[in-house]
Amino acid sequence: MSTATTMVRPQETAATPAIEVRNLRRTFRIKGGLLGKDREVVAVDDVSFSVPTGGVLGVVGESGCGKSTLARVILNLLPPTSGEVLVEGRRLSALDRRARARLIQPIFQDPFSSLNPRRRIKDIVAMPLVAQGNIPARQVNDRVAEMLTRVGLSAEQGERFPAQLSGGQRQRVAIARALVLRPRIVICDEPTSALDVSVQAQILNLLAELRRELNLTYLFISHNLAVVEHVASEVAVMYLGRIVERAEADALFRAPRHPYTRALLASVLTPEPGLGVPDVGLGDTLPDPANIPPGCRFHPRCPVAEPRCAVQVPQAVATTDGAAECLLLEGAAQP
Amino acid sequence: MSGAVVMPARRRVAWGKRAGLVIGGVIVGAVLLVAILAPWITPHDPFVQNLDNRLSVPFWMEGAKPGHLLGTDGLGRDYLSRLIYGARISMLIGLLTVVTSGLIGTTLGVLGGFFGGKVDDAVLFAITCRLAIPVVLVALAVVGLLGSSLTLVILVLGLLLWDRFAVVARSTTMQVRNLDYVSAAWAAGLSTPAILLKEILPNIASHLAVVATLEMALAILLEAALSFLGLGVPPPLPSWGLMIAEGKDYMFFSPWVIFIPGVALFILVFGINLLGDGLRDLLGAGDTR
Amino acid sequence: MSAPLLDIQGLRVEFGDTAAVRGASFTVSRGETHCVVGESGCGKSVSALAVMNLLARGARRSADRLVFAGQDLLALPERRMAELRGDRMAMIFQEPMTSLNPAYTVGSQMAEVYTRHRGGSRRAALDRAAGLLAKVGITAPGMRLGQFPHQLSGGLRQRVMIAMALMCDPELLIADEPTTALDVTVQAQILRLLAELQRDLGLAILLITHDLGIVARIAQRVSVMYAGEVVESAPTAALFADPSHPYTRGLLACVPVPGKVKREEALGSIPGVVPRIQPGFEGCAFRDRCAHAAPVCAGPVPRQRGEGAHEFLCRLPPGWTATERAA
Repeated sequence: MSTATTMVRPQETAATPAIEVRNLRRTFRIKGGLLGKDREVVAVDDVSFSVPTGGVLGVVGESGCGKSTLARVILNLLPPTSGEVLVEGRRLSALDRRARARLIQPIFQDPFSSLNPRRRIKDIVAMPLVAQGNIPARQVNDRVAEMLTRVGLSAEQGERFPAQLSGGQRQRVAIARALVLRPRIVICDEPTSALDVSVQAQILNLLAELRRELNLTYLFISHNLAVVEHVASEVAVMYLGRIVERAEADALFRAPRHPYTRALLASVLTPEPGLGVPDVGLGDTLPDPANIPPGCRFHPRCPVAEPRCAVQVPQAVATTDGAAECLLLEGAAQP
Repeated sequence: MSGAVVMPARRRVAWGKRAGLVIGGVIVGAVLLVAILAPWITPHDPFVQNLDNRLSVPFWMEGAKPGHLLGTDGLGRDYLSRLIYGARISMLIGLLTVVTSGLIGTTLGVLGGFFGGKVDDAVLFAITCRLAIPVVLVALAVVGLLGSSLTLVILVLGLLLWDRFAVVARSTTMQVRNLDYVSAAWAAGLSTPAILLKEILPNIASHLAVVATLEMALAILLEAALSFLGLGVPPPLPSWGLMIAEGKDYMFFSPWVIFIPGVALFILVFGINLLGDGLRDLLGAGDTR
Repeated sequence: MSAPLLDIQGLRVEFGDTAAVRGASFTVSRGETHCVVGESGCGKSVSALAVMNLLARGARRSADRLVFAGQDLLALPERRMAELRGDRMAMIFQEPMTSLNPAYTVGSQMAEVYTRHRGGSRRAALDRAAGLLAKVGITAPGMRLGQFPHQLSGGLRQRVMIAMALMCDPELLIADEPTTALDVTVQAQILRLLAELQRDLGLAILLITHDLGIVARIAQRVSVMYAGEVVESAPTAALFADPSHPYTRGLLACVPVPGKVKREEALGSIPGVVPRIQPGFEGCAFRDRCAHAAPVCAGPVPRQRGEGAHEFLCRLPPGWTATERAA
């Protein structure tokens, strides 16, 4: 399969991208029960992209599109079935756990399950430093204290247990833990989805400040397009394991090319009264990663699908600011 | 918000259950204390026989002798002293068995639950095999073959009673392993043993503590049964099961010789179970967010 | 105007020493969607449960007035209340899996609701269920009737919940975060469905949500709740055009709006956290987080009336936002 999603732009060729993903694929086996056959679920299907240092790539898509699996594969929490992840030009799979931890760190969605309930906050934040094995205890304490202050928590809160903090405070702890080693890249997997609106704003602001301050690169996964539009410089839209469209954030929100992107954007409910609820026109068939349709994988739900969409697999087409995989775009219908 | 809805109800339930926890804790604590302090609090040497003073009745019956609060047994040994030393044996067997079986079961269960795949298959196979072994029969056979001793009873029970630890450790590890804080620890560069010891074990410990109480009660009862059959603790060591066995010849004329150790056994096992139930409710509630 | 279908005045709910709802008032008329919006812990879900008399044991409910279709719900015995629930007033929840019984098929659960309230044959009930499944946009309703809840996707389950709520032609539908667990595309579909059903059936909908986007798009009237009180209530357009309570304004500033809020620019945020409110709390619950707080805020707070039916609970006079803009 040709991989036109690898869009190397001129300015990127010079500097090594902070993160580069090449032909990443991850499948799962699902046991078929007593008599049924084992099924293969393709969660991430030949995904390639790169993010320049200091950039924010937003990854959007519905549940089951493979965005969380992508995050876990990039973090090396799951080994890829094939393909590779390069962080600052180095293959992630070849790094030892300590070196990997210094480069890339996660922030997860649910601040209630992402903190060990039996540990004190300061110990949770200290964990990545302690895991390095060669940092003196004094220095660990100093850096933990500094980090807690930076994310807006007091030293007194450092002595507490996770259950004694609110959701927003817990997410601050998770951010402190992720940044205490000064990593280069942070994978944010729905970091604000479990939070209240006002708390979400605080956390988004904090993440933006920290990114500028520490020159971090973010992979920002979310189902909330309004949030992604606010934080991302580039956006990748995932559908059933593939990136079906990728573009500069402004371009994508101004002129979406792929019908799926258009549907996603149409379904964003902005707080503007009088507009009513949009008709996204996607029909009822929901995507099933264990049963990916032939041809264009979006065709059963696509409002503008043509007969050929059920047969022909679309190739990625370069657009002005990115690429999209749709047969209806000019130049997509190669044999 | 749902937390706020549920909380008051939960608090009320917890208070009712806490009474069980307190009663159980007091019983087990008292027995443990008595067992530890045995040499200092027994009124008589539990091994000294006095054939002139056989089957002296306990204090609530007519003709009780001062100095022998619970009377004497068929060989004239002070029954209270034997009961106190018997608590030692019961607690010793209960605790050591649980430590042994807990170590085996937890290790197997955590490894199986954490690594999954082939390791888990092996652990499951071991559990299945163990469940197919009739505990009492094997214990009888082994003790019968090798002769009874305290160490052997503890070893046999310890090596046989780990299945529940393994099952619980395995299933709870599987749940915890998928939580984000374990992923975060992995991403933070923690080694696998460190993840197992620092992230997983503390979070399944409460479940294991509950299993431990149940297994302890079971071990104590099994020891009593083995001793009753003459295959547990060798005489003249005063085990409660052995005391019941020794008393069975006199049960028609002096029923209290079995009644007293029987009640002691009942109270201890009852207390341990109360403690376990209370612990489960307390820690279970603490585990939820 | 005719009397509202649901009239709640001064609703209070307390759990032990926590006051979850403190004198909330709102009304829902036939054919109207009234959104109650607020953050977690503000008392919006508890209010909905209180109307249905589905509060957890240990909760104390009281109100000055709680009237549904002319019936005083406060005086209604639980047996009569149970007859109303699922019949004339129905509720749908955020996570349909917790309110559908996993052990029964969709069809038997839907039929059960109907036969319990309306009697009649199971056959007729199943026919009605199939018709409603089709109405909520489920293809092959006959097949779905024979399926178990776990065999359905989240969006389908929510549609089944809605269809089940409609089995007895309710007059009032209470929806507690009905789309929060769903994908955005499915959310849009479900909300459209609710709007259509309302138009066709003249339903009154009380919709509980935390999402101001949903409020803007489907509500006719909005009540903003904070710390157990309705701090602002207005027709939707008026609320978004002129949010008057400082909390409402803060909340709106927190939401990123594509094309309106600039990227990289900090979002508005509300400092501090929601205070814990005990019974007997005095003054404005928002005063510790409010930029306009004054010493008088610790005393009784007046309910201001702006133009139209726009009300808010604050010391600031109606129209203060206009003078502030001018200044």
